[in-house]
Amino acid sequence: MTTAVAPARSAEPAAPDPVAMFASMVLIRVFEERMMELRTAGEVIGPVHPYVGQEAIAVGVCAALTQADSLVSHYRGHGHAIARGVDLDALTAELFGRAAGLCGGKAAALISDSRTNLLMSSGIVGAGVPVAAGAAMAAQVRGEPAVSVAFIGDGALGSGAVHETLTIAAVQRLPLVLVCEHNGYQAGNRTEEVYPEVSLLRLAEAHRVRAVGIDGNDVAAVATAAHDAVRLARGGGGPTFIEARTYLTRFHLQFERPSPEVRPSDEMAAWRARDPIDTARQSPPLRDRLSDADVEAIWERARERVERAVETARSSPWPAPEEAATHVWAEEP
Amino acid sequence: MNEVGLLDLVLEEEFTRDPNLVFLATNSPASLRRRFGSDRVRICAISEQAMTGMAVGAAISGLRPIVDLNRASFAMLVMDQLVNHAGRMHYLSGGQYRVPMIVTSATRGRQQLGPQNEQCPYGIFMQTPGLAVVVPGSLRDACALLRGATRWPGPVLYFVAPELNRQRGLSAALAAAPLRFGEAAHLRHGDAATIVAIGGAVKVASDAADALAADGVHCDVLDPRTLVPLDTAALAASVRRTGRLVFVDDGPRSGAPAQILSRLLDEPGVAAAAGGRIGYVCQPDVPVPSAPPLEETMWPTEGRIRAEVQRVLGEPE
Repeated sequence: MTTAVAPARSAEPAAPDPVAMFASMVLIRVFEERMMELRTAGEVIGPVHPYVGQEAIAVGVCAALTQADSLVSHYRGHGHAIARGVDLDALTAELFGRAAGLCGGKAAALISDSRTNLLMSSGIVGAGVPVAAGAAMAAQVRGEPAVSVAFIGDGALGSGAVHETLTIAAVQRLPLVLVCEHNGYQAGNRTEEVYPEVSLLRLAEAHRVRAVGIDGNDVAAVATAAHDAVRLARGGGGPTFIEARTYLTRFHLQFERPSPEVRPSDEMAAWRARDPIDTARQSPPLRDRLSDADVEAIWERARERVERAVETARSSPWPAPEEAATHVWAEEP
Repeated sequence: MNEVGLLDLVLEEEFTRDPNLVFLATNSPASLRRRFGSDRVRICAISEQAMTGMAVGAAISGLRPIVDLNRASFAMLVMDQLVNHAGRMHYLSGGQYRVPMIVTSATRGRQQLGPQNEQCPYGIFMQTPGLAVVVPGSLRDACALLRGATRWPGPVLYFVAPELNRQRGLSAALAAAPLRFGEAAHLRHGDAATIVAIGGAVKVASDAADALAADGVHCDVLDPRTLVPLDTAALAASVRRTGRLVFVDDGPRSGAPAQILSRLLDEPGVAAAAGGRIGYVCQPDVPVPSAPPLEETMWPTEGRIRAEVQRVLGEPE
């Protein structure tokens, strides 16, 4: 199977609905909190890399995409999948390692979803960037207006494959949007400890790639920047590198126990005050459009939806042992 | 393509047949680029990781990219793209995505490129699941297997020996039909010993078998043609019959020969039939030096092959 999604009729998505984007951010937050609990409880398998605090980026970017566009994610990717519209039951079952999971239990968090053109969620930092560029090249070869988006963290700029791809994408004017979620941390290191400077824009500019810096905790700003980048790419204007500043409010990853890593308290307080969900709630138009009861109803719906997905995952059987050896080789078509 | 120019003509025909074929390299054949345009035939910076990673993404998206890495030593640069991504995305996605792509490169020639760029690394990729490994032993098979690679449903690593470019019969080679993977070529028939020859070593192994036959020692010569999938059944049947096995390869002893032997020993009757009568005429497990007198020690020669066959026959040279 290649791409299961038929090209959208229109190359332009509808203008993003602020309430829908808010609800999507809430769903990601509720999901992530629940997955951390269930990892500690031993029901979710593998490592969990929580996306808490970065929800505005996935939601704002995906609001700018059509069905025909492609997405490449990485191990901190639950938020991207949910924002893209990946089926929550299949996603949750995959994180439980069950047969009904998106990838039959083989991937855990490193999911693919052909229904939504989520090509991969790589476990290798930076490796998804050339893959996304290849999807962009495919659209260019076919003369289709699709774009390709790769989500990366600030740590991915340490990868040579990313720099190589930026050069080629600029020269070949690939319809590629790199979304760098600059959350300040790369595994155990703070970015300023290992990079020559904290702004990443100049790295992209050095490759002659259009670079845009935005507040990644402001979903409207993200949606606008993504919309502009996608429109430019669709029109043959080449790639954009979006640096969305945000913060890793929890930790790099957890297995049985949440990671004990500590954040500077003043830094944490400053970013908590700019929580993307609270920020959206208090900004126009939601400030005027949603009552407190409306907001509570959105949270309640998210909790119910996540619990339903958890129950579905729990009731799905484990994959049969013989499934371990399937899908090593693609069948001849 | 680098070193074996006839393959460019094969590509032109296949590009005409399949509009999903695209080509990425630091240097693309001018005629291919002229005919099919710069969208399908791309010249890139010296960025092997980006090219190979792009091929993965393009293949997942429905194209069939070919990346020409030039030398096989450059495969070391793209292990992540090949092993962790190209070979694993069908599995990781639970079968949702295929990755039909081809990575071509040239192995060893008598070119004094030295310890880095004279390499046959195909044995390494016999332990990285999901990747087909193709090593043609003749010019005709080089054409037919490249056509086969453009029809294979997953990623293919295609290693060609520069030596094949010396062979004659260009038009017959070009006309050869696509070869299915996993079918060994049975080049010489005999009961004395089984010679398994790979890639650029197939010609010299066949010549050695002819010389041995003139002395009354008739050997089976088999060229696996694809190391993954491997025609274990054909190789095992021969060893069970002859009871003697000699590997002939331009690559290192611990590469493809060791991998093939371990698979053959899993086959019923092979270990008992071969006993200890197993020999190697390969590059030893040392790098390939540049100076011709040193490099010369690294090649399978007719004399070395005859001596090794005589050794496993238990007869003095």
